[in-house]
Amino acid sequence: MSRRAFLGTAGAGALATTVALGTDALVHPPAAGAAVSRRLDVAVPFEGAHQAGIVTPVQDRLLFASFDVITDDRDDLVQVLDDWTRASRRMVKGEMIGTDNDNQDAPPDDTGEAVGLGPEALTLTFGFGASLFDRAGDPFRIASRKPAALAPMPVFARDEIRPEISEGDLAIQACADDPTVAFHAIRDLARIGRGVVALRWSQQGFGRTSVTDDKQVTPRNLMGFKDGTNNIVVEDAGALDDHVWVGPKDDPAWMTNGSYLVTRRIRMMLEIWDRSTLGDQELTIGRNKQEGAPLGGAKEHDTVNLTAKHDGEPVIPVDAHIRLAAPSENKGVRMLRRGFSFTDGIDPVTNQLDAGLFFIAYQRDPSTGFIPVQQHLATDALNEYIRHDSTGTFACPPGVGASGFVGETLFH
Amino acid sequence: MFRTTGRALLGAALSSALLAVGLAGTASAKTAEVKVEINDDGCPAKITLKAGPHHFKVTNSGSGDVSEFEILSGDRILGEVENVAPGLNKEFSLTLKAGNYTTYCPGGSRDKGKLVVKGTASTKLSSEGQAAVDQYRQYLEAQTAELVTATKAFTDAVDAGNLDQAKELYAPSRIAYERIEPVAEVFGDLDPKIDAREGDVPKKEWGGYHYIEQKLWVDGTTEGLSDYSKDLNENVATLQNLVKDVELQPASIANGAVELLNEVSKSKITGEEERYSRTDLVDFEANVQGAEAAYNAVKPILQQKSPQLVTELDAKFAAVYAGLQPYETGDTTYVAYTDLTKADTKALSQAIDSLAEPLSKVSKQIVGS
Repeated sequence: MSRRAFLGTAGAGALATTVALGTDALVHPPAAGAAVSRRLDVAVPFEGAHQAGIVTPVQDRLLFASFDVITDDRDDLVQVLDDWTRASRRMVKGEMIGTDNDNQDAPPDDTGEAVGLGPEALTLTFGFGASLFDRAGDPFRIASRKPAALAPMPVFARDEIRPEISEGDLAIQACADDPTVAFHAIRDLARIGRGVVALRWSQQGFGRTSVTDDKQVTPRNLMGFKDGTNNIVVEDAGALDDHVWVGPKDDPAWMTNGSYLVTRRIRMMLEIWDRSTLGDQELTIGRNKQEGAPLGGAKEHDTVNLTAKHDGEPVIPVDAHIRLAAPSENKGVRMLRRGFSFTDGIDPVTNQLDAGLFFIAYQRDPSTGFIPVQQHLATDALNEYIRHDSTGTFACPPGVGASGFVGETLFH
Repeated sequence: MFRTTGRALLGAALSSALLAVGLAGTASAKTAEVKVEINDDGCPAKITLKAGPHHFKVTNSGSGDVSEFEILSGDRILGEVENVAPGLNKEFSLTLKAGNYTTYCPGGSRDKGKLVVKGTASTKLSSEGQAAVDQYRQYLEAQTAELVTATKAFTDAVDAGNLDQAKELYAPSRIAYERIEPVAEVFGDLDPKIDAREGDVPKKEWGGYHYIEQKLWVDGTTEGLSDYSKDLNENVATLQNLVKDVELQPASIANGAVELLNEVSKSKITGEEERYSRTDLVDFEANVQGAEAAYNAVKPILQQKSPQLVTELDAKFAAVYAGLQPYETGDTTYVAYTDLTKADTKALSQAIDSLAEPLSKVSKQIVGS
């Protein structure tokens, strides 16, 4: 039953606003204005060659959750993945989960806070962490299938990584246009998995900081700058195959059509940033703040000219963020970013804002994607204003069809 | 002490509206079959039923213009069948409490009908249900007897001015209470009188175990406690008398087991319960033992309904005890709560959540037994 119908209202009127995107929509989005604009309350199909939530037009809200597996029982773990898949298929359609939701003598299967809300473009994207493969005794019998791409994340310059909010055996990225829908999904999946998995850490996000669709307007991060202007967009199928999806010839075979997810919680020292002059801010990023144009250019999408000089000095400074992050400075490396701003209140020690960017990137291989780029950013002028305190690397398997479960290629 | 008013373990003898809600629908009654005929006009104008479980058989004698039957409470759909084609019937089950409901058959001229449910469900138990109730009542009586004895020994030491002995007997005197705590909560103000922590009740009304605990550990004295000793003994004796007649149902016994684990989650894992003596883990074990005793009482019924749930719960109870074991220092003694690390309490909390979630699924399996 849909969550709207559960309210017992006439139903038809409310449901009419729900537009289901066809399966093709992920690869070939409808014409501009048809389905990608905000607040249409679309349903994104769960099924597909790739998992949803990677090239899906970035939603407004994130709840990311990392789990520890607290059992050594392989069957129990597989059962949870199967149960998660079943529940996810329903939740992305805006349906209630379970069968028992009006039994006075039992706790309802669905926790209920999303009743009355539609699908809200909910996507649920699942990944496996290195520790799942490395577990002592190999109880899940997957050690031999561990991707080389799950090698430990190197320590980068100025990293202040906190292990308790990093990595994990399993991860779920829940994105939706409504924060309650995203929370409901993670809460109910955690409940379904109780006894087999336990939440390790989670991160809420708001205000998408990237576009993955060329019809989306480039948003601003908390520093006030447009972010992700040169991201890979869904329309660029060649770039997706080259840089995002694991190919059929890549190892291991079970990851074909999957992707590797890297997360970084990047705290911004906003009080310090806000005391910097506009000139300093623009030289740090390498873009004009108001328009988002690269320095030396006039419009946001003008080509980033890294060779231009003024009075013998580079127009885009040698330590500017967009120079060091540019594909041309990184052997052509590109990633698909779909990060979100976050705020977790106040730092109790300094009384400063605990806020910043929860960086999310999908790539074919972190060792040729995020890792070299991040190493290249060691001299980034932006480092003075940011601090990385959480890291995560997860192997996101391919999508599922009408039957089967997420991760089936790994376990079968 | 219970900080929130959860569903009560039992208490048909009480008039509290909250408890009446908690118990409604848990009564044992045979499922009644209700035949409903819809037609092109819509729903039957009025249906009158007795409270309890019902099995609705919906037939369609019309041409198909109307093909849906719903039961609503206010705006909420409680049960429904769709696509009831002419000549076919469709079925669903629903347990209804007394009250006024609406039926809804969209498409007809009479698309809404009345459904009136009267009376209270029968409370006759099956023989297995009775066996579960008898077993759990025996447990209640044994535990309250032990409570009375252990409390007397503890307060005797307090009254004799023997501080060390009083501190030693404090935690053991509470074990039986922690095993049956949801029962005590049913009896109005009895639980706060026995088990309130500072701040739970107005300061001048505060007494019971935790008042004495604070005097012994914080003030280091047994002075001025004789009235408190006397009240505590009277209150636990009252509890012992009350449990003899309290009405029990298998499903509510199972819910009580969940409540005991919720107690662990809320106040033992957090170290709130024994904030001066730091004997929280003694209470922790007692809560789990009490939950296990309640579960054991209904286990024969559950074994028939869902043997796999029994297997799962047995394993999860064992996992909780195994998780506690490293902290044992004697038969009924544990390390102080303050000796636990964050990782320790996290692991214990996960073990409790892992047990409580499947345990919360027991009552719906055995309701009506």
